[in-house]
Amino acid sequence: MSDPGPSPAPEEAAETGTLAARLALQQRAGGIVVPIVTVLFAFAMSFIVLAATQRSFHTAALAFKEIWEGTGLNWVFHPTTNLVTSIAAYNLSQTLLETTTLILTGLAVAFAFRCGMFNIGGQGQYFVGLIIANWVGVDFAGLNPLAHVLLAISAGTLGAAAWAGIAGVLKATVGAHEVISTIMLNWIAVWFASWLFGAGGPLQNTLNPQSPVSAQVSPSARLPDFWGVQGFQGLHIGLFIALAALVVFWALLNRTTLGYEVRAVGFNPDAAAYGGINVKKNFILAMAISGAFAGLAGALDMLGGTTNYQFGQLDVPFSQVGFLGIAVALLGRNTAIGTLLGALLFGGLLYGTSHGLGSGSVIQPELAGNLTYIIQGLVVLFVGADILILYVWNSRKKLRRKPPAKSTKAAEAPA
Amino acid sequence: MSTWAARLDNPVSARLRDPATSGFLGIFLGAFAAFLAIPPIEARTVTWPILVGIVAAVLGVWTVTRGRRRLGWGAVAAGAIGIGLGIAATRSGVGNLHAVFDATLIAQTLGLTTPLLFGAIAGIFSERSGVVNIGLEGMMLMGAFWGVYGADKGGTWVVGLLVAGGVGGLLALVYAFFAIHLRSDQIVGGTAVNFLAVGITGYFFVQLYNNSPVPNGVSLLPNVHIPGLGHFLGASIGNLNILTWASFALVIVSYVVIFKTPIGLRIRACGEHPRAADTVGINVYAIRYGCVVLSGILVALGGIYLSEGPEGNGSFLFNMTNGRGFIALAAMIFGNWRPAGAFGAALLFGFSDALSLRLQVYSAEAGTLFRALPYVLTLIAIAGVIGRTVAPAADGKPYAKQ
Amino acid sequence: MSDDLVLEMRDIRKEFPGVVANDEVSFEVRRGEVHALLGENGAGKSTLMNILYGLYRPDGGEIRLNGKPVSFSSARDAIQAGIGMVHQHFMLIPVMTVAENIVLGIEPHTGLLLDENGAEQRVRELSERFGLAVDPAALISEITVGQEQRVEILKALYRGADLLILDEPTAVLTPQEAGELFQIVRSLQADGKSIIFISHKLNEVLEIADRITVLRRGKTIDTVPAEGATEASLARAMVGREVLLRVDKQPGEAGDTLLSVQDLHVTDDRGIEKVRGMSFEVRAGEIVGIAGVDGNGQTELIDAICGLQKIESGTVTIAGHALSHASARAALDAGIGHIPEDRQRRGLILEFTIAENIVLHDYAKPPIGKRGWLFPARMVQSARSLIREFDVRGGGPYTRAGGLSGGNQQKVVAAREIARDPKVLIAAQPTRGLDVGAIEYLHRRLVAERDEGRAILLISLELEEIMSLSDRILVIYEGKIAGEHTPDVSEEQIGLEMLGGREAAAA
Repeated sequence: MSDPGPSPAPEEAAETGTLAARLALQQRAGGIVVPIVTVLFAFAMSFIVLAATQRSFHTAALAFKEIWEGTGLNWVFHPTTNLVTSIAAYNLSQTLLETTTLILTGLAVAFAFRCGMFNIGGQGQYFVGLIIANWVGVDFAGLNPLAHVLLAISAGTLGAAAWAGIAGVLKATVGAHEVISTIMLNWIAVWFASWLFGAGGPLQNTLNPQSPVSAQVSPSARLPDFWGVQGFQGLHIGLFIALAALVVFWALLNRTTLGYEVRAVGFNPDAAAYGGINVKKNFILAMAISGAFAGLAGALDMLGGTTNYQFGQLDVPFSQVGFLGIAVALLGRNTAIGTLLGALLFGGLLYGTSHGLGSGSVIQPELAGNLTYIIQGLVVLFVGADILILYVWNSRKKLRRKPPAKSTKAAEAPA
Repeated sequence: MSTWAARLDNPVSARLRDPATSGFLGIFLGAFAAFLAIPPIEARTVTWPILVGIVAAVLGVWTVTRGRRRLGWGAVAAGAIGIGLGIAATRSGVGNLHAVFDATLIAQTLGLTTPLLFGAIAGIFSERSGVVNIGLEGMMLMGAFWGVYGADKGGTWVVGLLVAGGVGGLLALVYAFFAIHLRSDQIVGGTAVNFLAVGITGYFFVQLYNNSPVPNGVSLLPNVHIPGLGHFLGASIGNLNILTWASFALVIVSYVVIFKTPIGLRIRACGEHPRAADTVGINVYAIRYGCVVLSGILVALGGIYLSEGPEGNGSFLFNMTNGRGFIALAAMIFGNWRPAGAFGAALLFGFSDALSLRLQVYSAEAGTLFRALPYVLTLIAIAGVIGRTVAPAADGKPYAKQ
Repeated sequence: MSDDLVLEMRDIRKEFPGVVANDEVSFEVRRGEVHALLGENGAGKSTLMNILYGLYRPDGGEIRLNGKPVSFSSARDAIQAGIGMVHQHFMLIPVMTVAENIVLGIEPHTGLLLDENGAEQRVRELSERFGLAVDPAALISEITVGQEQRVEILKALYRGADLLILDEPTAVLTPQEAGELFQIVRSLQADGKSIIFISHKLNEVLEIADRITVLRRGKTIDTVPAEGATEASLARAMVGREVLLRVDKQPGEAGDTLLSVQDLHVTDDRGIEKVRGMSFEVRAGEIVGIAGVDGNGQTELIDAICGLQKIESGTVTIAGHALSHASARAALDAGIGHIPEDRQRRGLILEFTIAENIVLHDYAKPPIGKRGWLFPARMVQSARSLIREFDVRGGGPYTRAGGLSGGNQQKVVAAREIARDPKVLIAAQPTRGLDVGAIEYLHRRLVAERDEGRAILLISLELEEIMSLSDRILVIYEGKIAGEHTPDVSEEQIGLEMLGGREAAAA
């Protein structure tokens, strides 16, 4: 976005800065190196766990090979658009389905971060988008398909924006920490969803009263698949919507006055207020926009058939895509391109681990699914450690050249 | 100069005129309105809940006009909700009511309170020392799994307790290292702990137990049977789990430690003003490490209750905490970072949990919806309706030594 | 008085990058004396005391305590050696009681339990012995600032301090409280304690001290007995200096009133009234300087004018627009330009580029912003021309503001504020921490902007800056205007007024 300035003093923001400033510091300090090192480290750790518990390096290596093939990313070596003949192509389409969702839940976290807030409530916002999309998609059957799809998507998105906006309003008015309020909103959404989709719930499928699953979205509200065979859960056009959302995210932040305000508030609320920016308004708006991204993810999953156009009560506690968005955003350094890459990585992991080992011949498939969580946890643990990153960065610098002269900043410090 | 002595000397009449009194009275009456319709009072007309609810609302409005706006509106809301619930209760069958409200409700409430209470007290220790612990959920989950593992391999629940506490403390130690020495953002670090715990327990659950409920015959946490309490007491507290009793003791012990001992004073100093603590020679890092590790041990004991307690029956299930760590966090906030307050909040949340299980007699879906109640209440609490909750001043702020 | 020395500091040297804070400073304290350390902001008093208290390591020199050389690596060492320090910003925990704060770290206990009665008893004994009246059971949050200070003193005494450092102890006190503090200091002295009293208020130094050491620009100027010293002689020693910078300027031609402040009252975030009825006007084409010691209401005055702090009562009028309940945005739109006193915390967003910082006020106005869209290319374009015009060095439009030197950061701020053509320009400590070249540039620029017909309000702690730039000088003391002068007034006169010594000077 902009060329880097002269080398800054790394300590300047580490202690007192806002969350956004600290994360920006990490980005400058580590560049692309730290995320890559973090990911490699996380993979190495999980490899060790696997090798140790299976008591075989060979098995662990085989497992990782199967996970890799499971992601479908090997498709690039044998590109074909025929999903029936190429397993790789099919796997890739499924990985991209996961990626679609993760791009959006990642953007949800990243946008709030850019305003200096931690939106830990992506999961709840995702559910709200999904619920509303299901309701609109089922109840307004018979609409013109384009109108129906647009209505369902925008209703889901706006609903989630309002849901997240609650946390923004609480922060702006009574100073409630957004982490606590979004956690609470998450669990309210979780139980609300369980209730709605559960037996006897308002959104439950009336054709089959015993099964705790929602009604299916009417065909007029379904997103068309552009790659895949009907009935095989194809890749729907939501992928393009997610890619467009990346562009929107970037443009919103860098090409609108709202984005300017959001970034200013995120880096330094005092200076933003001095600049004439309404800080409270920005807290609310940024949270709502953040929620909109997560809500869009939920709406696309529902209308795109990722969950077979319906959602079950039992699926609720197993859905983790909102939380995975945290890892995606942190790994992607809260940038559009980083989020895309992070989403691709975790999308691949999600599908690769759950289906790549489907044969069960190497290790139990369920084992691998949990590796995703471990890798996710390690990634989040390490990308969040300021000192570690500064240490890596400083030693990198030392290797390159002599330490730079003390910055002029320090000269003004003593009173 | 205002002293505590002067405050005690305030005439009672002045305290009654205080808008805070009327506000809290209003909230209490609002809650009471709902209870009028259920046993043991069991008013069978809708009149009483409505009347009492209206009184609550009037008190609330009066409070608002006296300046305590949030408290007042809270009382108004309590009145309205009380009326609604009261009406709902009077319209349902007496048989159903008896199925929901009996002595075992107390036992069930206390049982469901236990893990929340361990978690909330754990959170209090960590946050009182200045480290936010979002990772309670993960550490609880670790306790739930490794507790079963310990009891299974060690042959007795005692080993389970030790293993659970040890693993919880170990994960907390890792978190503490990142939060204190590496000065990670504590929210990010805690979130990572939660992910890691899901992954680790899930992985080893598959690896060690093949993803199926743990074998029969695992030694369970015993119940404490107290004979000769009579019908009601016997059914309510005559057969509680050993950890339930331990959690009650923990409330008292933690209160004494935090508020009545030198170490407690130092812990609180680190959470309020670490620089001030440092300048008088207190090792802030050591205190914080100790508190976070203790927090991990305690919350893991809450976790083992889930799997090894009477409800868990020796079975671990994938991600079985299902948000209880977060409810514990909520109870801590709701209880204003105080053991007694957290006890009250945990009881309230445990009660609403028990109620939600029993409300299944009316409809399954209502019971499910009821489980959102703790979170709604906490959201309202942090919105400031029930008096502002105040976290320790330095909570969540990494401390850099000079 | 005996020559029994408690403390000797010889040739203490401390350098910070670019600044020599202490340049061969020598300082000694006799047993049982009150020794005042006098000097302007930045004279090196705090650095010297932080060295003594173990917070900084000296680069050179020697410290002897009771005749023995000592070297402290932390405050803990200093405390153990019998040194106590009462910081200007108290280290107290508001939610705890007085007694708890005092005994923290060395708690009396019975068995495992904290002996609260014992703690309160010990505190009561100490407070009676030294005449420091506080209620041991009261919460810190409930007591006054003056009482908080007593708690800090008790904290030091509880730890057995013999040498007590009071860092600007009266800065936060009301005159009555200051009087009580003096009595406490005397009773401590009577008990054999030695006290270092840091201040820049002449009258109180003369009242309380036995001897006075004056520091200026990191050097010891003189140590004199209080007896025989006068406010005038001390003021000369403190601020007297050859003028380094002369600003060439013609006398201003004052035009219409552009900024008018009438009977302004402002309270700070803690509810303390900091501006207590100020009225003044600034007209087009004049620079009005506000001289004063830090913390006398300058910050609150500026923030109130700029819509950043609520106005309790009174009015602020900018070019005819009344702004008594206005937002920062309204003040900016009415024609305020504001170079804030803390450019890093408020004036700049360090993570933003120069270009982004330059549009901080007007990002939403054409040509930069239009209907919600932002046009970075235009932003960069305007930044590029301003960087040239204001001679910002060390980077281009895409350079992160945090990567610039202090002087260039300030030029970016000045460029932004001036380029938006304000009617009223408020410059708060515009040259703090800058090198000579940058100072000279900013001074010339301010005069040029005055000649353009702007009304300029200059707030500075540097008396010299006020004297050389202003067409009219106001002295602020405790939230009120203590004097108004033309620039031909003597430095001593201003110095006396800003140090609260007007009565003495008038006599």
